[in-house]
Amino acid sequence: MKKAGPRLNAIVDGLMDWGIENLVYVPSSHAAPVIRGLEARGVPSLMANREEEAVGIAGGLALAGRKVAILMQDNGFGNAMTALATFAVQYHIPIPIFANSRGGLGEYNAMIHSISEAAPKMLNSIGVRVERLTVSDRVDVWRANTSAAAKISVMQHRPIVTLFDALHPLIEPAE
Amino acid sequence: MKRIEALTVIDELFAGDLLVVTCGATARELASFSRRDSHLPLLDAMGLTSPVGLGVALGYPGSVGVIDGDGSLLMGFSILPTLAIYAPANLTVIVLDNEQHASADLVPSQAARIDLAAAARGLGIPVETCNDLAGLREAITSTRASGTFGMVFAKIEPGNSADIPLLLADPAVLGATFARAVGSRSAN
Repeated sequence: MKKAGPRLNAIVDGLMDWGIENLVYVPSSHAAPVIRGLEARGVPSLMANREEEAVGIAGGLALAGRKVAILMQDNGFGNAMTALATFAVQYHIPIPIFANSRGGLGEYNAMIHSISEAAPKMLNSIGVRVERLTVSDRVDVWRANTSAAAKISVMQHRPIVTLFDALHPLIEPAE
Repeated sequence: MKRIEALTVIDELFAGDLLVVTCGATARELASFSRRDSHLPLLDAMGLTSPVGLGVALGYPGSVGVIDGDGSLLMGFSILPTLAIYAPANLTVIVLDNEQHASADLVPSQAARIDLAAAARGLGIPVETCNDLAGLREAITSTRASGTFGMVFAKIEPGNSADIPLLLADPAVLGATFARAVGSRSAN
């Protein structure tokens, strides 16, 4: 079981700062420390089997007035594209989505970069804004930007994706 | 039982509650005789109706209905185990099963050869089945009265009603209107 280092803990802190009320996630070993961190803080979580399913469930929660975020991995955006474009974008649903990025300089898998490198372009092409949290950003920036991305998603009534690099060789180990 | 007849019964039974409606001819037929702020028609998000309904039901204390179709449910079939596990007691999912993709040139769906209701039962979901209007009314009423999550699988005639106008509403307006309806009911 992976433990969160300071930067992944900062995502948890940032979402708590925002006032997250529900979490919908698709399993990912690299996002798991964030999921467990939110569950440990008492945030109700729901596991979806596919990314488009997560968009639908989170969108329903958002329409019911809940502050809800999605945790997933960026190679799942291929699955989620139609749900994002025809539902979340078109219906102006505020869903902050946080996805660990794959295919970067810490990658250990030979093929995953094909989808992960394309994910930001795919998202931009349907009008979804993409922010990034990198190993070069300070821990307090990860926390502040997490909270800010969630706030802007609600303010602008649209999904916003924040990609975070949990695999970089210099990302801090768990404490 | 024609789909538009089934929709009339569902609309009446959920008149004071929230209703998430699947795309295509189903949404158009319902909108042709009933437009309510508490209706959320998904204009093009096939496969997403039951996930959206689950989310709404988890965030709202009152009764929530979902009108799904066999084709739409099959497209997002992974929602069935999720419904079985989270199973909010205030949610009723009604599947209008015409054994075809009626909005896609009437292509037969896999529901013509498999038993969708049995699949749901196999996952532990309380299921009612029916094939006429009286049975539909009874199945929905008893499911809602049970105090648990449940699904109603209703066999309907194939095809679509004639001369139904397109539903050309702005999705952003539909979403905002529905969210306001949820908010006003939550406050009461």
